[in-house]
Formats: sequence, structure tokens, C-alpha cells
Amino acid sequence: MTAMLALADVEVRYGRLVALRGLSLEVGQGEIVCLIGPNGAGKSTTMAAIAGGVARVAGSIRFEGTELPARKPERIARLGLSLVPEGRHVFGTLTVEENLRIGGYMRPNARESAAALERVAGYFPKLKERWRAPAGRLSGGEQQMLSIGRALMTNPRLVMVDEPSLGLAPLIVDTVYEILLELREREGLTLLINEQSSHRILRFADRIYVIRNGAIQLHGTADELRDGEAIKAAYFGFGASVAQAGAPSGAAA
Amino acid sequence: MINFLQNVIDALSLGSLYALVALGIGLLFGILRLVNFAHGDFITIGAYSLILPSTNVVATMVIGSWHWAVLIPVVCAIVVVVAMATDVFVFRPLRRSSAPTLMIASFAVSYMIQNGVLMMYGARPKAVNLWSALTTQVTIGGLREPVLQIVTIGTTIGLMLVMSLFLKHARWGVQMRAAAEDFLMAQYLGVRGNFVIGLAFAVSGILAAAVSLLFLAQTGALSNVMGVPLALFAFVAVVVGGMGSLPGAVVGGFLVGIVTTMLQAYLPPDLRVFRDAFTFTFVIVVLLVRPAGLIPSRSIAERV
Ligand SMILES: Nc1ncnc2c1ncn2[C@@H]1O[C@H](COP(=O)(O)OP(=O)(O)OP(=O)(O)O)[C@@H](O)[C@H]1O
Ligand SMILES: [Mg+2]
Repeated sequence: MTAMLALADVEVRYGRLVALRGLSLEVGQGEIVCLIGPNGAGKSTTMAAIAGGVARVAGSIRFEGTELPARKPERIARLGLSLVPEGRHVFGTLTVEENLRIGGYMRPNARESAAALERVAGYFPKLKERWRAPAGRLSGGEQQMLSIGRALMTNPRLVMVDEPSLGLAPLIVDTVYEILLELREREGLTLLINEQSSHRILRFADRIYVIRNGAIQLHGTADELRDGEAIKAAYFGFGASVAQAGAPSGAAA
Repeated sequence: MINFLQNVIDALSLGSLYALVALGIGLLFGILRLVNFAHGDFITIGAYSLILPSTNVVATMVIGSWHWAVLIPVVCAIVVVVAMATDVFVFRPLRRSSAPTLMIASFAVSYMIQNGVLMMYGARPKAVNLWSALTTQVTIGGLREPVLQIVTIGTTIGLMLVMSLFLKHARWGVQMRAAAEDFLMAQYLGVRGNFVIGLAFAVSGILAAAVSLLFLAQTGALSNVMGVPLALFAFVAVVVGGMGSLPGAVVGGFLVGIVTTMLQAYLPPDLRVFRDAFTFTFVIVVLLVRPAGLIPSRSIAERV
């Protein structure tokens, strides 16, 4: 069986800076795949390239067997692929309800999008309480929920979540991950998640890719990488000599 | 007192024209980061569309002589087509260009329209008589006001109400606000970027058409640069109100109109020729105190 999402030799540049240099990865139907890597490794760029937010210089991105068009975010969204971006990007001046509705407008009819709104709201009781509040007034955790809910409104089969833990208290991060797991169970979602650190990921992910300097350095199942040593090495690019290097191990571990 | 009240109504009437122009400019700025100087020329086109294209000094009304219930939608349609064509042929190919590039392109469009009008209609200003019945005066509690002033203020309030209802409740309105706040994010959620932008151009075209008719009915004169000062003052209004904020554009428009009218009325006669210099001094003071404008747009504040 072929992968649901497959990137092969993807290259992306910002002017003269090469952000992705021949990146390849795969996500299978129903999997939770995690992309981890340090600051500036190219995690967000990978997701933006998939979602059509940046131009791809070379390589192929296939979703459910078809090649995704480059730089056509609104068409890619209609194919069942949705992005929860880094920093959440809720529409701050729009209400919670309006933020969610935006995702539902591309559904074929109003009744269906109303039903979707009902169902999505069910996953996030906290949002229901702030229904008419401007999204900009929500707490970081609530904004993260809203951003996930908004992505669900587009009726996706694969959701990409960029650093869901960014700037959130650990307890809230746990809640966010619980909801993501619940969504996989109940909605049959496939998930691609970016994180800077691996410690939570090892519990939730099926497979892990480590990215550094615009390319995949290591990949394996969560079980294979459980002890964290290989991840640490790939993450910092030390090869085998992690112990002597005296690296700030907190970041990766 | 009566005199002062009359000045207030004059000020509100001028201010509402500026507010309508500022709304048209502010709407496109919010979504596209485009400072559209050609907006004034959309107004010019609306006004010229009333007469027969010819270089004769005497204007021959064609559309201008139709019943208002037909005239208004036809002029709106013409300006909307011009505005949307500008988008398709000029701004769409520049979608990923920087804000300064877009602004320069809008200058180019502006000059093209001005010179196109010059070629088709000749260089001399033309007198036209649109809706002369509206210049009759009514007396309200001792105030004698031309009906036109009241129609202008009423039209502006009406258009602003319709527009805010549209932006607040219509599905395309909500998508427009989302796109104005974070264009790429809206696209990630399936909002059709080009359609929303085209719609914004259409709305700005309707606003320009309304101004062209109200303004022409007031001045009775056509000239190929008639829209330029309107766009300039409206641009100032947009900056004073807060770039990218629609309530700001309206407030700024009224404020600039009020300041201009009041300076005209109350400056010593010797200084009146310098009225605009005083207006702009006032603008600079406002911007020194509130650099982001009176009602800064949240989305822009976050961007910086
Ligand atoms: N819009 C942009 N313009 C220019 N360079 C960019 C842009 N976005 C990202 N970059 C650069 O591309 C490289 C990859 O960035 P990217 O945001 O994908 O990394 P990341 O892995 O998501 O990092 P982080 O963990 O900080 O979010 C970095 O060197 C970054 O500076
Ligand atoms: Mg990132």
C-alpha cells in the first residue's frame, strides 16, 4: 500500500537561503507521525510546502495518490488536508464562532457545515463558553483548541499541527494532545505533528522523523527510538559522540 | 448659532464624501496591503460615464439623463467593471509583489485612467447638470440646507450600514474580514483568495460610484483629475484613522472633512488660502500623538 502523504526530494528556498534540501518523508493512513528538530530546521517550511503556502523548487508531494499543486493553498485545503499553523493564527478580531465558520464555508451546503459546527464544538466545551468572544481575547490554550477546531471544520482526513505545545503550560499541552488522540479515534484522522522536543512525542507518535538543516537525519518507530540517544545524536548532529560533547541535553530529551 | 449649525452640516457632508472614499481605499488596504491611488480615478470614471464620449466642450448627457433608479445601478456597474478589471489585469499579476510595488502600480493605473479620459473627452473641464432638483434648499428649524447635503449624509450612513451588515453577517463578508486579517491563513482554510479580493474591488467600485454621483451633483464640473484631491484627502483620512481599520477610515474621513470645513469657515480671510496647510499640520499633530492612527487596526499592530 502506498502512503497517504509522501514527500520525495522536496526543496524549498527563501531567496538564497535553502530551507529544505531534498527532504523525503511519508505518512500512512491513520498514523501519528512526528517531525522533530531544532530551531530553524525546516519543520514549519515542510508543512507550508505541503499546504501550498510556499513555492516548491523541486521534488514531489503526493496526497492520496495525487500530486499536490504548488502554491495553491485554497485548492489543497479542499483535498482534505488541513494545517494548524505555528503560533495558531486565529483571526483575532473575529469571534470564536466566526473563526470556526470560516473553515466550514467550503463545504457544499449550509446544513452540513452547521452540523460540523455542532460536532466540532462538542470536542471543545471551553470554546462553547466563549462563543461570541473575539478570538484575540482567548488564552493561548483556548486559541490552540480554536485553531484545531477550525482545521476540523474543513473536513480533513489529514491534519498537520505545527508545534501544538508552543508557549503553553505543560498541563494544557497534555489536554491538547489528549484531544488530538481523541480526534484520531473518533474522526479517523491522520496526524503529522511538529515539535521541538521529543519527550511527549515518544508517548503519542507512531513514527518519528528527526529533521535538521533542511533534511531528514533519522527516522524510525517510536519504539525503536524510545531510549532517545539516537534522536539526540541526529538532533544535534554529533554523530555517536553525544556524551563527550556536553550538549545542552534538555532541549532534545 | 444657526451659522455654526450650517457649518456643521457642511462639514458632515464633506466628511461623508471623504469617509466613503476612505472606506474604498481602506478596504483594499486591509486585504491587499494596496494603497490604491487609482481609487480617485474610479470616481472620475463614474462621473464621466454619464456623458457621451467626445472632445466637445459641451457635455451631452446620455446615462446622465436617465431616471435615477436606472442611472445609479448602471454607473455602479460601470465603475465595478473598471475596478475589477484593474484587479485582473494589473494587481492579480502582482499578487506576490511588495506593498511599494503595488502602490506604484496604482499610480500607473491612475495616470492611465487620467490620460485615457483626456483622450476620449478632451482636456477642458465640462459643466454638467446632474439632479439639479437636489440643490433646492429646505428649511429645517431655521436652517436652510440644500437637499443634496442631506442626501449625501443619508447615502453615506446608508452605505456604511449596509457594508457593516455585509461584513458582519454575510458569509463573504466574514471571509473578507478573515482575509484582511491573515490572508494566507484564510487560504489555508479554503477561502478563495482571488475571489475575495475581486469582491473587495467590486465593493470599492460601488463606493467610488456613489461618491462620483454625489460629488458631481455638488460641483457640476467634470475634469480628468477630479478624483485626485478626493483620493489624496481620503488617503490622509485613512492614515489618521489607522491604516487597515475600517472604522478608522470612517472616523478619519469625517475628521478631515470637519477640520477642512471649519478652517474654511473660521480662519481669518488672509489665511484661508493656506487652509490645506493647516489641515495637514493637524494631521501631523495627530500622528505625532498617535502614530498608528486614531483607531489602529489590530491585525497590523500584531504584524509589526
Ligand atoms: N518567510 C521566510 N523568509 C525567509 N526565510 C525563512 C522564512 N521562513 C523560514 N525561513 C528560514 O528557513 C529556515 C527554516 O525555517 P522553519 O521556520 O521551517 O524552521 P522550523 O524548524 O519550523 O523552526 P522553529 O522550531 O523555530 O519553528 C530557517 O533558517 C528560517 O530562518
Ligand atoms: Mg517552525
